[in-house]
Amino acid sequence: MCLGIPMQIQEINGYMARCEAKGVERDVSLFMLQDEMLEAGDHVVVHVGYAIQKVTPQEARTAWELYDQMLTGSE
Amino acid sequence: MAPGFTRWQPESTDMSRTAKQWLAEIRSLDLPDRVKIMNVCGGHERSITMAGLRGALPSSIELIPGPGCPVCICPEEDVYEAIQLALNEDITLLAFGDMLRVPVNVAKKEIRSLEQARAAGADIRPIASPMEAVTIAREQPDKKIVFFAAGFETTTAPVASMVVEGVADNLLLLLSGRLTWPAIAMLLDSARPGFDTLIAPGHVATVMGSREWRFVAEKHGIPSAIAGFSPESLLAAIYSTLRQLIEGQAFLDNCYPELVRDEGNPTARRHLQQAMEVVDANWRGVGVIPASGFSLRPGYQALDARRQFPAYADDSRKRAGQMPPGCDCARVVLGRCYPDECRLYGSGCTPRHPIGPCMVSDEGACRIWWAGGVRENKHNGQTQDRVVTHA
Repeated sequence: MCLGIPMQIQEINGYMARCEAKGVERDVSLFMLQDEMLEAGDHVVVHVGYAIQKVTPQEARTAWELYDQMLTGSE
Repeated sequence: MAPGFTRWQPESTDMSRTAKQWLAEIRSLDLPDRVKIMNVCGGHERSITMAGLRGALPSSIELIPGPGCPVCICPEEDVYEAIQLALNEDITLLAFGDMLRVPVNVAKKEIRSLEQARAAGADIRPIASPMEAVTIAREQPDKKIVFFAAGFETTTAPVASMVVEGVADNLLLLLSGRLTWPAIAMLLDSARPGFDTLIAPGHVATVMGSREWRFVAEKHGIPSAIAGFSPESLLAAIYSTLRQLIEGQAFLDNCYPELVRDEGNPTARRHLQQAMEVVDANWRGVGVIPASGFSLRPGYQALDARRQFPAYADDSRKRAGQMPPGCDCARVVLGRCYPDECRLYGSGCTPRHPIGPCMVSDEGACRIWWAGGVRENKHNGQTQDRVVTHA
């Protein structure tokens, strides 16, 4: 349950954001990052629907490469 | 910033190295005959197992899965309470998906999991986010919604944020939140901690801050490093703690600097502080660990399902060692034995028919080892006396 997934913010509406990763879109709460400056295009790590930390695009890519490998490995 | 963070920064946090390069660095170390490295995160154990790190590392290095699975240590009495509430009250019970298959210790004909209670007609729904609980409560204003929220800090912080942001009056919490570091503190305070160095959890530290883990080195002199979930980050952390051990200089290294900061996520910590207090708490199969659980603060107790439905708290169920008969999950959780050393592993207990919680959860060591292809049962009465080289 402690795995975080990096997603890219598409659109922000109050404390909610439409986020995307690998073609999948989700509504994500930014309530735990309300003290961060966030805008569309930024990447965040999402855990149980809540963004827990901002990350760079490179870090998001690296994390996704790892998850791709893990998903392939567990098939 | 603690001195430890800068001591080896060019090496141990140079994340541009590949896994192969880190393995070469580790092999070049003057390793002791035997080193036990514990991790405290099901995500770490999954990465270690799926990447085959045990087989790739020198045979003197043991990687031990520790108390890193919140589903596995969620008290049996809490799961039982959730089942009874769902069966006997006119409520909708929500839980993270992993919790639905966790068995409790009841006679064979009785309902032993939330999944079975749902099949028997109880309104139980798996959810993936506290936000779903908020939505369901809003859509069903005339029904009480009980959210059975088990998890470590990474999961409990979003639950606290949900509470602070405000929820509908009909949403109640059956909270089973736990803190990870007190379990490690308990092991380190014991006569036999069972490990020489520690890999600290990456996303717990992302939320709570790396400073929570300084005590491992500062109080106990145990080398430690926070790791991310890539093989590179994990190997960097393994290298760092090995080098600390060899050089006799224990500190807390941060091998996940892209996410983990000294102070963590201050907003998340503020929400936790506002909504919850830290209390002594029971861990399934382990017993009560001081200051290791979350409880709603007085200002939020109207949300507490235990206050609304006090009849379902059964103190007689609160006892340590409440794993099913023959099941070694308690010892697996504490790193006292490996999953395949449990007599039930693969012989009666499999992901399809789990007996203990470590075979249920995606973060349980038994489930992970099974998914990683470990099929042989090595139960022979000896524990932790061999080096695990398979993965």
